[in-house]
Amino acid sequence: MEFRRGPGASDPWWGAGAKPLPGSGAAPRLQRLAMLLLLEALLLHPAYAARVVSLNLCTDEFLLLLAPEQAVAVSFLANEPSMSVVAGVARHVPQVRADAEAVLDLHPDLVLAGPYGAQTTLALLERRGTRVERLAMPQDFAAIRAETRRAAALLGVPARGEALLTDMQARLDAVRAPVVRARAVFLQARGYAAGPGSLADAVLRAAGLADAGAGGQPGLEALVMHPPDLLVTATAPDFPSLGTDLLRHPALKQIPRREVAPALVLCGGPWTAGAVAALAQ
Amino acid sequence: MTRWLALAVGCLLVASLLTGAAGPGVPDTLILWQIRLPRTALAALVGGGLGLSGAVLQGALRNPLADPGLLGIGGCAGLGAVLAFYWGVSAVFAPALPLAGLAGAAVGCAFLLGFAGRAASGPSLILAGVALSALAAALLALALTLAPNPFALAEITFWLMGGLEDRTLTHLLLAAGPIALGCLTLLRLGRGLDGLALGDEVAASLGVPVGRTLRLAAAGVALAVGAGAAVAGGIGFVGLVVPHLLRPWLGERPSSLLLPSLLGGAVLLLAADLLARAAPLLLPLHQEPRLGVLTALLGAPFLVRIARQVAPGGMT
Repeated sequence: MEFRRGPGASDPWWGAGAKPLPGSGAAPRLQRLAMLLLLEALLLHPAYAARVVSLNLCTDEFLLLLAPEQAVAVSFLANEPSMSVVAGVARHVPQVRADAEAVLDLHPDLVLAGPYGAQTTLALLERRGTRVERLAMPQDFAAIRAETRRAAALLGVPARGEALLTDMQARLDAVRAPVVRARAVFLQARGYAAGPGSLADAVLRAAGLADAGAGGQPGLEALVMHPPDLLVTATAPDFPSLGTDLLRHPALKQIPRREVAPALVLCGGPWTAGAVAALAQ
Repeated sequence: MTRWLALAVGCLLVASLLTGAAGPGVPDTLILWQIRLPRTALAALVGGGLGLSGAVLQGALRNPLADPGLLGIGGCAGLGAVLAFYWGVSAVFAPALPLAGLAGAAVGCAFLLGFAGRAASGPSLILAGVALSALAAALLALALTLAPNPFALAEITFWLMGGLEDRTLTHLLLAAGPIALGCLTLLRLGRGLDGLALGDEVAASLGVPVGRTLRLAAAGVALAVGAGAAVAGGIGFVGLVVPHLLRPWLGERPSSLLLPSLLGGAVLLLAADLLARAAPLLLPLHQEPRLGVLTALLGAPFLVRIARQVAPGGMT
């Protein structure tokens, strides 16, 4: 059969337009899956939601990876290939701003949001009886596992969550520990170095690097005086800003540099293993 | 006086090159050339341009409160630079950054001179400038809100409270030409400004080409302030404070204030930038204070003092 691997069911998808939406050819299988999921949800998961609106880039990514068929609308950033791992799918999903009227108009069963921002909008939605779930921003791989499972449970697709996590684990396990751990600094916009406890720190350590960053702004002069073995940056060159312009300062040119796609590290999720794989090479 | 100011500029240039996060003293060549030199030279250039522009505007508009920042010219320049930078124009064509700043400053100057031509009274000109700077700040914030990069919004502080940290030699090369050209234009206006100080009719009867002097003043200010604001953001009050500090020594004649104001502006901004850099070394701060904040802390009380002085007699 042509569609041996049904989309969405078991194979994770890493974004940027490579994989098409679940096509009509896969419909019987998807419908069977949907029926099974519905049955399962009715019996076991009262949290199952059918119409889901996401208001935050990170929850957009979880929603469109785990249950694109339930997505009613996502935030405008989901569409942006340099920031979102689901831009290819998000192109086919309507966009919505974090605006109470616009969201209520969509009659969602569930609104996914981040822990920060639009809190007054979310409070208003909750007062009107809409179910709002705030996903945390995971800062390490243990938290990513927990958050992926929680999102998958909320969407009623725990098996897809496990599939994503299995794939993530395979990518993390593929990293061979180096003999000498290079000292790396993950330098972010405005010259902030990632410090312990951050997602960037988790990525560096998972990639077999020693995180030499201590948080805060080390300053150009300190970086030049005491250069790390590797400078890791994640910038989108199409979107100039003064904060990221600093990372291209000529004084930093002498330090070896590795670029990571910003979409992989902007939000913590199973896709973040892609950044680890890129750095571990 | 001029000699003392030039000496002060020289001392501050050396001190500025020897101070930084890497510690005092002669640093690594890379740090010296790539990090400290652009910052030091830009502080001197931008400060000199602002000080001279302030002196020229105060003379040409016969208004002691005239200042490129207060009148909104700096804000208009920042707006132009923001549009060029955040929409990627300057990434394709680097000189677009100072050129856009220049264009913004020119629009601001043209508006103010047009306004001054019709209603010459001092307070109304300042009010028009306040309106212009509020408009420029609002449009700048709007431009950053709508910028393609959603994180650009966080950079409003830079443009409203300028700074010079981590500028590159490229920024220096881009800004130096227009600022130098603007300053040369303004320095040659001394005689015309002396004439304008006596009133437009008297100046015309003395053979001063009034219209031409005003147009050259506007062009010079646009060059000196526009290119500076494009790389340094909004740094206010330098042009206001410097001529006032110098008048007790040099008298009221606009022509005798021009070169000293240029040097004084450079001294003021170099000192403020040095203070901004030294603050984290001396005090338990984890960030440098913004350069524009320091000049505003100095300039705002100064503005109040000047306003009190001119209030009873009204402005001429």
